[in-house]
Amino acid sequence: MPVALNMRLTGNEEQEVTLTGTLRPFVADEMASVRSSLEQAARTTRGTLCVNLKRLKYMNNVAFLELNRFVRWVAHTRPGLRVKFVISSVIPWAVRKFQVIAELYPFVTIEVYDKAFYPIQQVIEDDDFMNVLRTQQKIIWEHEREKLAWHGLRPGLRIADICCGLGDFAILLQSDFRPEYLIGVDHSKPFLRYAWQLVSDFGLENIEYQYGDAAALLLPDNSFDFVSCRLSLQVFHEPDHIVNELYRICRPGGRIYLTNEMMSGVTGYPNEEVIRHGYIRFLELCRRVGMDLDIGLKTRTILHEVGLEDIKICLLGITNMNTAPHDFARVVESWLRTAKQMAATANAEPELYEDVSAGLTAHIEAITRDNGFAMWPIFAGSGRKPFRTS
Amino acid sequence: MSIVKTITPAPPVEADFASSRYRMIMAARFTVGGFAREWGHCHLLANYLARYVSANEGDPERHATLLSTFINELLEVIFRNHAVEGQIELIFRKRGRHVILQITLPVTEQNRVFYRMAVQIVNQPDLKSWYRARLEDPADGEDTMLGLLELAAVYACSLTISEPPGQDRLSLFLELPEVDDMGEV
Repeated sequence: MPVALNMRLTGNEEQEVTLTGTLRPFVADEMASVRSSLEQAARTTRGTLCVNLKRLKYMNNVAFLELNRFVRWVAHTRPGLRVKFVISSVIPWAVRKFQVIAELYPFVTIEVYDKAFYPIQQVIEDDDFMNVLRTQQKIIWEHEREKLAWHGLRPGLRIADICCGLGDFAILLQSDFRPEYLIGVDHSKPFLRYAWQLVSDFGLENIEYQYGDAAALLLPDNSFDFVSCRLSLQVFHEPDHIVNELYRICRPGGRIYLTNEMMSGVTGYPNEEVIRHGYIRFLELCRRVGMDLDIGLKTRTILHEVGLEDIKICLLGITNMNTAPHDFARVVESWLRTAKQMAATANAEPELYEDVSAGLTAHIEAITRDNGFAMWPIFAGSGRKPFRTS
Repeated sequence: MSIVKTITPAPPVEADFASSRYRMIMAARFTVGGFAREWGHCHLLANYLARYVSANEGDPERHATLLSTFINELLEVIFRNHAVEGQIELIFRKRGRHVILQITLPVTEQNRVFYRMAVQIVNQPDLKSWYRARLEDPADGEDTMLGLLELAAVYACSLTISEPPGQDRLSLFLELPEVDDMGEV
């Protein structure tokens, strides 16, 4: 019954007990330490006791009944205390199982914490946007493929591509880097369905996809040679949680590879002032919905702070001179549509979206104009996980 | 709460399985002695078999996690209720998006009564109320039948039994709910 248990205060009123791993005991007595921790936490909590089961992958009925007995104990011993089971949609058995308990006891609630996972998930799962993502991937790949070997990618590696999106990266790696095995993880089922179809069409057997939460991966520790997370940290509220997970699943000596945008560096000519101002305002809008599209500048710091060594950073400088202008313009047009939806979500003042619109429209003009110049900087960074931590 | 007498659905017969609607996925056979030596075998077997059965799904890991939950509950019940000698046989078949697990095991008369009762309870018309009542008024010791009840009440699995006459063996048929390629019920 390899279960890990953690307790922490999450506020004056709240206490959290976290259970991770596997909970399949033979008899309830084997859960004595879990039960005693729960009771101890319940005795000292005033408001809500959170029982965090986000990463509890397996639980049998013996364990479930013991949690049910604990809930009944709370009803008799700590009336007024609320109990919240925090579960993840990634664990396929959890929602139905705990829903029953929530229906039985009015002081018990269920929180599916990843239901509304990141602010623009619905926007980017739109069919049109998926097409744009493919165009974006195509543009970036032309510049990225020549840098990947420098970042430590070579044939025969076990690769995890976290926040894999439509899975194009996995397919593109096949010809140049022939991974032994690649798993792509994403929190979008439409994306994964698309990715799976792609793998099926190509008849590739060394690629798997998994519905998952990048901040609480179900992949084992120290198990991949190369862990990538591309253009994704920027859409999450707490990117450090994801980076910690990338570190955990990377084997010592393996490398973590990130790509991050730097929107404040997007520029073009003519109308450079309008363009720059538009992107500064775009960043402001993104921050209002919890995204940091200027995270590129922090890439080195992020890699350093998680404990990596041999850090390398390079710039993927996409311009309308080295990329098909039509494709580049399509990508910026999609940002403009996304900005409109974000402005509505954030209930932003109309001037904010107007500034963004003026800037991005000027950028598109610079991209498509015969004598115009436009760029989009992306930072690619990587670092090696040390064999020993000091 | 009393058991309402119901007609237990008939289990599938071998002729059904021969039809093209059923696709054989895998079969496994092992001795009771080996299986019952360690409780952890339920977990290990459930995970291994589930991963194998899920190999061609869109999200094999998530599909396997769900299947392992179902298989493990059944194996745990069998771990606690079987004759001391003989072989356990598992056959996995698939019909559309449903996986059907047939498990054949040696039983004592006491075991036989247990499984008959389990199947009868699982096929109660108001199973959800039964299940909720058992949670609201839990037994002091282990409620070894509740795992099976949960499979039916919460996940809409169906359970039937087949008892070949004159044999100290019986077969249970667990039809799992429709699970999509992403492991969603």
